Amino acid sequence: MSNRYSDNAGPFPVTRADVLRGLTALAALPLLRALPVRAEVSASGDAPEMAVEEIAPGVFVHHGRYELQSPENLGDMANTAFIVGDDAVAVIDTSGTAIAGEAFRKRLREVTDKPIRYVINTHMHPDHVFGNAAFKQDNPEFVAHKNMKAGLSVRAETYLASSERMMGKEAMKGTEVILPTREIAEKETLDLGNRTLVLEPQQTAHTNNDLIITDEKTGTLFLGDLLFSRHIPTLDGSILGWLDLIEKFQDRKATRVVSGHGPISMTMPSSLDDEQRYWTVVADDIRKTIAENGTLEQAVKTAGYSEKDKWKLFDVYHRRNVTAAFAELEWE
Amino acid sequence: MPRQPKSRLGRKYLTSAALALFLAAGLAAPVPARADVDDWPMLHAAVFHNRDIIEGDGVVILDAPAQADDGALVPITVRVPPEVKGPLKSLTIVLDKNPVPVVAQLHFGPAAGEGGERRFSTRIRVDSFSHIRAVVETADGKLHMTKGFIAAAGGCAAMNAKDPTAEAEGMGKMIVKTFPPALDTTPIWQGQVMLKHPNFSGYQINPNTGELIEARFLEKMVVKRDGELVFTLDGTPSISANPNFRFTFGRGEHNDLDVTMTDTDGTVFQAQSKPSGS
Repeated sequence: MSNRYSDNAGPFPVTRADVLRGLTALAALPLLRALPVRAEVSASGDAPEMAVEEIAPGVFVHHGRYELQSPENLGDMANTAFIVGDDAVAVIDTSGTAIAGEAFRKRLREVTDKPIRYVINTHMHPDHVFGNAAFKQDNPEFVAHKNMKAGLSVRAETYLASSERMMGKEAMKGTEVILPTREIAEKETLDLGNRTLVLEPQQTAHTNNDLIITDEKTGTLFLGDLLFSRHIPTLDGSILGWLDLIEKFQDRKATRVVSGHGPISMTMPSSLDDEQRYWTVVADDIRKTIAENGTLEQAVKTAGYSEKDKWKLFDVYHRRNVTAAFAELEWE
Repeated sequence: MPRQPKSRLGRKYLTSAALALFLAAGLAAPVPARADVDDWPMLHAAVFHNRDIIEGDGVVILDAPAQADDGALVPITVRVPPEVKGPLKSLTIVLDKNPVPVVAQLHFGPAAGEGGERRFSTRIRVDSFSHIRAVVETADGKLHMTKGFIAAAGGCAAMNAKDPTAEAEGMGKMIVKTFPPALDTTPIWQGQVMLKHPNFSGYQINPNTGELIEARFLEKMVVKRDGELVFTLDGTPSISANPNFRFTFGRGEHNDLDVTMTDTDGTVFQAQSKPSGS
């Protein structure tokens, strides 16, 4: 089977964990919170359209949906992009299944037949990496932050299982975990032929493996999931690291910026205002609860609710954000 | 700190005093936890030796979320309402479907306190949809149980460390706090203990080697107030990383807490609260 990453599977010691693992299909991970059990439902047939828009010369972006994974959307949630140089093409994120990735590749091929030299992942989450398999045929370099291989490896099994639970077996056809073949430890450039991409690994924020990309030719900045807009941000790294990074981004110049979830062409740094406000409110409310000797349970019920009407999917992810943020801030 | 040579995970489990509870009863063998199988009869026998248990008589109340936000970090609170008089002997928390079903067992001492609502809160890992049970033993030797159901998953295998590098740096940091009641005369105080510790479950994978991380978890905690025992706690890897406990204790003269924690590697962590609720 191609949709099982099993290099790390080892023999289990005592107890019944191995059996439990098989039974446990749900993951408690930010972009994968499993609510309805959908394993019985099969994918509803057609691959998503994966329409793209040319937001700047040679820069094509697909706008992901503000939804949870479903058999209908086949994991099409994240914004994905490709950039065309004189000699080659680079893909930035590949959507959440091999089927969606293949549909995206088809769009790409309608635009250009130049070789796909790089597939860059902005971070490890399945809605950004599970379409990688669709690009294996192009034999590209799979490029990511140096921490991504480790992060994705340990979560691979959980990600695959929970995706299957949410979308069904049919939707996961061909999906596999493809680990990076080129790891970015410090600022580096990639050449597409008269077109340079600048890759910069970031400190722990949304995750511990966020990578940002700048297309120098058009001044287009890809922030991946360091920028959420409209879709509520999700925390799988560090709230303090993220707030600090937003602060550092204030001086960054870009002609336009592409979010990981949200509008596909925004302006810097004002596009970061909403998520900065959200995390600030969440941190402030949690700190207040902690200062009053309050508990995690109390914080989950009270912190950040002034943001409720300002975000899509607030009810799905907010409580978990507060849980993660509380566990971090209580050690301040 | 002196470290034991690495032993195999299995042996570590078998030698752990905290787990002897049910391992001794034969549960160390690979017992499949199936979703459609009721594990309680087995656990009732192994952990409570089939003693009579009174269920739902109001002696013990359990607050646990029906749907957990994060399977690796599920907050739970056990309460014994003020109407219940007299000292308590023990409290056992059981999660039927976890690889290690006994979450924690507490034995109370003379400083545990009474005369108000008694509480114990912690955060646990929930690996599978499961019943959770709190069993309190009252001074007359009777067992009282309440149960709930938690929908969560992935807690025991989930890598808790979002940033493993940062997580390793603070290891061993400990915070002990006391919270005085609003009225001086109230006989019950609250305390909190936090320890920076990965509480490795033995089901997590080391991202750098791809191998399972050896279990290393909080095995024993002793909490004393002004030198008198509040409780001892036997812990398991079903407690979340960075173990966090909130509990009540009886008012004393100084109300200083003295906490000693020992993990399965034999490392001892100790801390005291600052006097008078700081």
